[in-house]
Amino acid sequence: MPEPGPSWDVVADIQLLLQFHFMQNAFLAGTLVALLAGTAGYFVVLRGQSFAAHMLSQVGFPGAAAGVLVHVSPVLGLIVFCVGAAVGIAAIGREVDAGQRLESAAIGSILAFSLGLGFLFVRLYGGSAQGIYAFLFGTILGITDRDVQLTFAVALVTIASLAAIGRPLMFASVDPDVAQARGVPVRMLSLAFLLILALSVAITVQIVGTLLIFALLVAPAASALQLTARQGRGIALSVALSLAFTWLGLALAYFTNVPVGFFITTLAFVFYLAVRLVKTRRTVVAPA
Amino acid sequence: MKVLGSLVALVLLSGCGLSAQTGSASGKVPVVAVENFWGSIAAQVGGEHAAVTSIIANPDTDPHDYDPTPQDARTIAQAKYVIVNGVGYDAWAAKLLDANPAPARIVLTVGDLVGKKVGDNPHLWYSPSYVDQAVEQVASDLGKLDAADAAYFQRQAADYKGIGLKSYHDTIGAIRQKYGGTKVGATESIFAYLAEGTGLNLITPPGYLNAISEGADPSAADRATVESQIATRAIKVFVYNSQNSTPEVQGLVAKARAKAIPVVSLTETMPPARATFQDWQTAQLKDLLQALGG
Amino acid sequence: MSMLGLEFMRNAFMAGGCIALAAGLVGYFVVLRNQVFTADALGHVAFTGGLGGVLAGLNLLAGVFGSCIAVALAIGALGGRGRGRDIAIGTVFAWVLGVGALFLSLYTTARSAASGTLGVSVLFGSILGLQPAQVVVGSLTGIATAVVLLLIARPLLFLSVDPEVAVARGVPSRALSALFFVLVAVTVAESVQAVGALLIFGLMVTPAAVAQNLSTRPWVGMALSAGIAVAVVWLGLVVAFYIALPASFLITGLAFVLYLASHLARRMSRIGRLA
Repeated sequence: MPEPGPSWDVVADIQLLLQFHFMQNAFLAGTLVALLAGTAGYFVVLRGQSFAAHMLSQVGFPGAAAGVLVHVSPVLGLIVFCVGAAVGIAAIGREVDAGQRLESAAIGSILAFSLGLGFLFVRLYGGSAQGIYAFLFGTILGITDRDVQLTFAVALVTIASLAAIGRPLMFASVDPDVAQARGVPVRMLSLAFLLILALSVAITVQIVGTLLIFALLVAPAASALQLTARQGRGIALSVALSLAFTWLGLALAYFTNVPVGFFITTLAFVFYLAVRLVKTRRTVVAPA
Repeated sequence: MKVLGSLVALVLLSGCGLSAQTGSASGKVPVVAVENFWGSIAAQVGGEHAAVTSIIANPDTDPHDYDPTPQDARTIAQAKYVIVNGVGYDAWAAKLLDANPAPARIVLTVGDLVGKKVGDNPHLWYSPSYVDQAVEQVASDLGKLDAADAAYFQRQAADYKGIGLKSYHDTIGAIRQKYGGTKVGATESIFAYLAEGTGLNLITPPGYLNAISEGADPSAADRATVESQIATRAIKVFVYNSQNSTPEVQGLVAKARAKAIPVVSLTETMPPARATFQDWQTAQLKDLLQALGG
Repeated sequence: MSMLGLEFMRNAFMAGGCIALAAGLVGYFVVLRNQVFTADALGHVAFTGGLGGVLAGLNLLAGVFGSCIAVALAIGALGGRGRGRDIAIGTVFAWVLGVGALFLSLYTTARSAASGTLGVSVLFGSILGLQPAQVVVGSLTGIATAVVLLLIARPLLFLSVDPEVAVARGVPSRALSALFFVLVAVTVAESVQAVGALLIFGLMVTPAAVAQNLSTRPWVGMALSAGIAVAVVWLGLVVAFYIALPASFLITGLAFVLYLASHLARRMSRIGRLA
């Protein structure tokens, strides 16, 4: 067995990294997911919807169990639940209060209820539930060629739809009141965005796992927003960071043998802390 | 910062430990078993012509959270022969296999071999007949990969069944003969196949066994049944999984002891300190026999 | 067999009621202060912390409580209000999940742990499986949390509804916020082991959301939130005894039905007022 050990020879290291098919697929799918999540994540964070992103990464699994129960494809159940939850948040959350309070209470209530439903479906199923769930959690090291193609399609559709509604969505996210007054369909856009998010999360989660998709949706964009207020730059930075964390995380994990998710989330977190620290210093120094 | 420092140290340490991996010495078939109990069986059938690596010693994890390491993926990618339990017990391993197609590799999915599907009780290594089937299949698979030693593997398998597993099968036979039909209780489905194999009558509701195995929530009715089976001493022996002794399980164990019902502990996976699959299983079976009355 | 003749049912009513009381009261402020995401994150922190505690050779409880309190305070320190906090929680949360993945990987491969007697599932309890010691600890913690919360309720309410004026009037905002975070962390850490992560999250959020929909008066809202939490737990337990459905589903389901109903009621009354 070739001993994996990084040297200072970058070319040799990259050859070592890519010698296995699973690592090639991991880099391909990781890149696509990073592109998707870096873009969508910018809007998630801008709109203060990290909680919704987390909820969507979890809420589909009772749906998958329901799919098994009624003998349809679990992925179908996953998508139905994610989309249903997105519609639910949009319907309950935004309408009365412009503030966030009702939205997060709505997300929380829907999340708790659907996890409860998960328990119910498992009970009704009667068999060993471990089996149902196990197949639905993806891992970045276990990606087939078909998964890569699927991820490519999802990334393409998601980024294209976001590009299509990007300009009004940005307006509606930054200043909903003014946007509304100017005739931008703020609520429709909100729903459309959640639906795009729900569909892309439902499909990518069973390829790369809940942790990775959630982390990449939130953390790179969080740092990007700290670093620049300009929107075009922000999205570009969010995508760049997302790619950097994914590639570095994969490489570090490969040479140290710990789960990939640990390194990607740690890189993102340390970077975010560093950005915050530098910004705090500046604001402290500036007035003096 | 200190926490981060020790984490980094931990990471580096685990990296070093794992890179000192058993290599494929020349002339040996590189075998990977996802769980250590199947690994122990494969090592004894493969003898000096197979180099067996087991990936996990403790699969008691929520598939939600389990994230295999690149080392796991590499180990699997390089094996000529891979043994997975299947039936959803180690689905992540199946994914790692699919991500790395290798036409020459043979994969033994024990669940498929014995005709189980997702949703069935996955604790196949607790069934004496499934273990026998796996032993035979391992020998014939290894023979395909290393045709020159095919006869050797067959001999090894026959020896293993006749000598290695003798005490295991004998103890099972003794329980079946003396105590077949005896009513017993358990906390988890790991015992279900063994109860079948030993002819004991496991009267705990199956829903309860499944729920506790998976950390789910058993129904009130099932709980009431389990409690009353202990309270009325309807069971002769109470079996629990010491690797999953939640406060609830400990509470039941205490109640059984208070009612003078003998308690036997099993472990879901092979404790690494034990040398072999059969030592581990036979010791547990002897405890069970003892508890039933000797 | 009568329902209260069974010890586990009595335990569930007793401890479940006390935990629901605390969750309902704390939850009212969680929703009012828009910290639902924090509460959700803490349920996952308990897992990482407990596992970390075990790996480090410490007590499991020390890991659960220590990590919940530490993360709650860290979120408080990084956060601020509104979007800033949402981002801070998300980032910390993702990292905690990543560390959990690392711990789990170490736990499943470490030889010492594998021969131990501890499964990961030990971290999560279930309301029908409470043991006598857990009932005592759970009930006392629940009542103590409720009492502390009621003691600080007046200034906390002031701070939550109108932070600027409250600070100007000399309400110690930092200390009070930190104390509240600790209360949330303790409630989650304690209840996760007693009744499980799902149930405590459901009990903190949904009854409080119902109360917010039904009344804008804070003291009425607090009473409603606590009352609804206790009521759905007890009702859910009664139904679970007669019908073989999971108690956690029945309790969260009842709460969710109430939530939908309260939402409709609120909408109706708005339409009524407008007309």
